[in-house]
Amino acid sequence: MSKPITLQQIPLEELVIAPGSACQGCGPALAARLVFKVLGPNTIRHSVPCCPDNVTRTPGSGGEFEAGGDHVTGTWRALKALGREDINVVGFYGDGGTYDIGFQSISGAAERNENVFIICKDNEAYMNTGGQRSGATPLYAMTTTTPIGPYGRGKPTPKKNLPMIFAAHYVPYVATASIAFPTDLIAKVQYAKGVKGFKIMIINTPCPTGWRFDPSKTIEVGRLAVQTGFWPLYEIVDGQKFKLNYKPKELKPVSEYLKGQGRYRHLTEAETADLQKRTTDHWEKLLKMDERGEVLF
Amino acid sequence: MPFEVMVGNKACAHGVRLSRVQVASAYPVTPQTTITEYLSEFVASGQLKCEFVNVEGELSTQAVVKAASRAGARTFVCTSGPGQLYMHHPMHGTSSGRLPVVMATVHRGNKSMQPDHTDLMSQMWTGWIQWYCENNQEVLDSVIMAYRTAEDMRVRLPIALGYDGYILSYTAETVEIPEQEDVDEFLPPYKAVPSILPEDYGAGGGRGRGGMPGMGGARDPQAGWRMHHEAVVNAKPVITEINELYGKKFGRKYGNGLVDEYRTEGAEAVIVAMGTIASTARATIDKMRSDGKPVGLVKLKTFVPFPREEFQRIAKNVHAIGMIDRNCCLGQGGAGYSEIRNSLYEMEDRPKILGFYAGLAGAEVRVADIEKMADKTLKVAKGEKVESLVEWPRLGVAEGEE
Repeated sequence: MSKPITLQQIPLEELVIAPGSACQGCGPALAARLVFKVLGPNTIRHSVPCCPDNVTRTPGSGGEFEAGGDHVTGTWRALKALGREDINVVGFYGDGGTYDIGFQSISGAAERNENVFIICKDNEAYMNTGGQRSGATPLYAMTTTTPIGPYGRGKPTPKKNLPMIFAAHYVPYVATASIAFPTDLIAKVQYAKGVKGFKIMIINTPCPTGWRFDPSKTIEVGRLAVQTGFWPLYEIVDGQKFKLNYKPKELKPVSEYLKGQGRYRHLTEAETADLQKRTTDHWEKLLKMDERGEVLF
Repeated sequence: MPFEVMVGNKACAHGVRLSRVQVASAYPVTPQTTITEYLSEFVASGQLKCEFVNVEGELSTQAVVKAASRAGARTFVCTSGPGQLYMHHPMHGTSSGRLPVVMATVHRGNKSMQPDHTDLMSQMWTGWIQWYCENNQEVLDSVIMAYRTAEDMRVRLPIALGYDGYILSYTAETVEIPEQEDVDEFLPPYKAVPSILPEDYGAGGGRGRGGMPGMGGARDPQAGWRMHHEAVVNAKPVITEINELYGKKFGRKYGNGLVDEYRTEGAEAVIVAMGTIASTARATIDKMRSDGKPVGLVKLKTFVPFPREEFQRIAKNVHAIGMIDRNCCLGQGGAGYSEIRNSLYEMEDRPKILGFYAGLAGAEVRVADIEKMADKTLKVAKGEKVESLVEWPRLGVAEGEE
């Protein structure tokens, strides 16, 4: 499990050298900045089609959207054959490249326990192509392909539970994180960097453009996602040991998280109540797992 | 050098072993499957030191070797029919990255489990060099030649070598296995250009997309295509050169590496065949020559880049060329037929070109079948009018039965 750090312990080195063509208040760009500070320059980082959120001082290459797990596998196996196991092999992908089109290849890499680190900057829709729904889009959220109308109430199905899906691959490390909790995020990257085998971290990265909120509120929205239990922070070792990293005495109501976002503006009271119930139920399960220190499938 | 009676897939695996491949990836698909088993045995027994990645599908195999080749490992991948079609997307990435991956395509057609060349032919425009092999010895030799050719800095392109499923993959023939030290002398170690390793990476940063040979830029968006196209075309003399070098070292070569002419001297007509059909055609030519018929054979080994100059030279001496296509580009016709006609268009005095579809979906092609095709080609060479220059001959039907 990760060891908590303080803000003062965040590395000063910047590996991100240009913000790319990110939107104002881009959550994923901040995720990249934090993550690569820890990974350092001895890293090969691969990309698949996603928002051009940053430019990092690390070699790597862009690759086929559907093959994120393979790009890192091939690189890792070649480095192993060449005796260069010291290099971090990282896939820094969006939710499409991780939850959906890239899922098969990443599942394969996880099952083979390749020594790679997949980092998903999850902004809960295909934002690079203009905000279409993805497997990471939450229930009822409006996207450009789940619009609101007499026959449309946003996305009709819940978000995939991807961290648990990867926990069920029994890989060495699975973690959720948030850009609004940088010390937790960095501690987890530091831990993962030292683990041999397959690691995956899914970072909640609010997207002002797609979620329809003011770009100055990115951190606030990200913080509320965690404080309401909508995006809990936890980590799982070997698909078994479980730890909830953020446990307030009481969760804030999800309505606080939802109300600031245009993608939820259409919600009825019943729909909000439904989301509240699902969030509370999920949270209670996580508390139980945290108490026992292990995953209950 | 030791001889062994072995099936084509084992010959292929021996070629991979002798080439000291460092990363291989495959997904089992009939009739390629046993390559993966032979390779696994070589790895398990310590005869081959290789990361053999058994992934969850063919698309992944191609993407894995692509990334491994980029990082500096010699790589191998193999497939058949549907698997070939499934990996189409990353094949473009491999060739656009100018990565010298070698792939064995054990032919299985797109309309049945049986062999024809439609699997690899459907990848004609992916920017890979394409070879078609005739027998198990050629499979083994071609794997070794393919690495030397693909990794040559004048080429730096992936090579696909096709051989007919079942007819070679599961059929045993005598194969001579070269000595490891000879192969080591012939095949120097592979180095990725440019290196992707962090310490070699430009201090100025950047995302790592730049620096690959053959990639275009904002100033000339077409440059990537132009350079890639030129690289494929310019590979011809290198293929010929390495085929010669291999011949000197190992005592076997395959024509000039592009085409292999058989008894074309004094021929009034030639037939053209690819893969195992070329073997049957040799026997046919022998029979017809002993009957006094002036017919020769051109075995077409390198299909991409197409050996235009060779056909222009051959065409000067014959009055008709009959292409036997074990493929059909639907709506367009036989790929070899189209390419030969295309190659000869500029000639003032060009021979007649005939097209025959044979061996599709594993249809058996016998000596008698080829004799009929060659006879027709010879008739046309002698100036006789025929109903159609392109036909789907009825195969396996004896003379008089039709």
